[in-house]
Amino acid sequence: MEAVSDVSFEIGDEEFVAIVGPSGCGKSTILNMIAGLVEPSAGVIEIDGRPVTGVPANVGYVFQKDTVFPWRTVRRNIALGLEYRGIRGDAQERRVAAAVSMAGLEGFEDAFPATLSGGMRQRVALVRTLILEPQILLMDEPFGALDLHTKLDLHGELLTLWGQRRQTVVFITHDLSEAITLADRIVVMTRRPGRIKMIYDVKLTRPRDVIRLRETDEYLRAYGEIWHVLGEEFARERAR
Amino acid sequence: MRPRSSVLFWQLLLLVVLLASWEWLTGIKAISKTPGLYWIDPFFISRPSLIARRFAYLLSDRVRLSLWQMTLSTVQSTLWGFVVGVSTGFVAGLVLGRNDRLARIFEPYIVAFNSLPRIALVPLITMIFGFGLVAKIVLAWTIVFFIVFFNTFQGTRSVDADLIHSARFLGASEHQVMRTVIIPSALAWTFASLTPSISFALIGVVVGEFLGGESGGGLGYLIIQSLGTLNAADMMVALLTLGLIGIVMALGIKQVEMRLLRWRPEYRKGA
Repeated sequence: MEAVSDVSFEIGDEEFVAIVGPSGCGKSTILNMIAGLVEPSAGVIEIDGRPVTGVPANVGYVFQKDTVFPWRTVRRNIALGLEYRGIRGDAQERRVAAAVSMAGLEGFEDAFPATLSGGMRQRVALVRTLILEPQILLMDEPFGALDLHTKLDLHGELLTLWGQRRQTVVFITHDLSEAITLADRIVVMTRRPGRIKMIYDVKLTRPRDVIRLRETDEYLRAYGEIWHVLGEEFARERAR
Repeated sequence: MRPRSSVLFWQLLLLVVLLASWEWLTGIKAISKTPGLYWIDPFFISRPSLIARRFAYLLSDRVRLSLWQMTLSTVQSTLWGFVVGVSTGFVAGLVLGRNDRLARIFEPYIVAFNSLPRIALVPLITMIFGFGLVAKIVLAWTIVFFIVFFNTFQGTRSVDADLIHSARFLGASEHQVMRTVIIPSALAWTFASLTPSISFALIGVVVGEFLGGESGGGLGYLIIQSLGTLNAADMMVALLTLGLIGIVMALGIKQVEMRLLRWRPEYRKGA
């Protein structure tokens, strides 16, 4: 079964791209191909001009599912990547402490994930990846399981963190508001097998206020325009 | 009264009632003038007072092989069998759990060996290893190994693939994935098998001691010896001691488990 077909686009350095589409349109497949988890049956994925084979270095991946290690405290979860690279002692401690305060997790360093809320766990997963300063950040509906309030909090934080050290971000979501709030460009997919239906340039300026921007004309226009296109896909999905 | 101390109160009361009725019932004669006929014959189940006396006697140095020495021998063999069984079972479970091909090759043999009643192996093990410590350890091992192996195998198999992926994205090597993801994740399953393992190690050792004779020593030997002399009181002493050993060992495992699995919500303090 084909998940995606004839999908071709380029992502610039330090660009924030969101991919939206109906569920099962192959959004995650695209991400997994970029991540080297899935090999494309035809075509090629290139990073900096080199084809992807296997999990590339300098790529961070934040999953929708909770992938914080439950047997490690917050501190030791955030330290994982450093530990894997053999960074120990003072150097590790300093960077972990900085990451903890960056994510607003002070006071929870020695807590086990089971004692934290879903939003805090996802925050741990995010800084655990960002501490390694990846060039490319892949996010697969990372806030999909959170309530609106927590989601908005994390949108704000993600934008702040991203503003400080711009990575290239590919962000999968089915939440259109989320895509407009965060992204420079939005790739809209058709239903399965997914093709690119349209690519929308979000003209909102940065830095963005995740709450106020929803009242701007550009937000409303973007929402209306993309929704119109997405709506056709939903309708077609239902008609089948 | 708080619920906890209330439970303890009822537990103690039950013990007192049981012991008192045991003592009392085995003391009533069925027909008053005929000696040796009882409603419940202490010949078979002895009496608490008698058991207590034998207990003290067997602990003293008036016997050739004291209860201390026998207990020590049983505990020692059990712990060895447990340690050897758990460590080999854990490693085998990890290796086969991570290697589909090996697992498929070994599966029929493991299933076949595991369905053998271990008691049937006792004579063979005795033939090979003699009557001493080693035979008892081997017998305990044959049981413990499989319990721990199957649990660890399952645990290794059910490690969340996304956790492994995220470790890879954080830069983990194969070896680091094993150390930081697979082993901690499988440990929770392994621990679930430890309490039954210690009981089964004890079973293996006692069965070994049934056959082992005096050279193997141990509480199993005391039971068989008491059967030879039709001494129910000594048997009760042995059973009581085995029960105590079982409780102490299970509590010890619980302590280690609570420490190592403290990340799990059900082990959190106060829970």
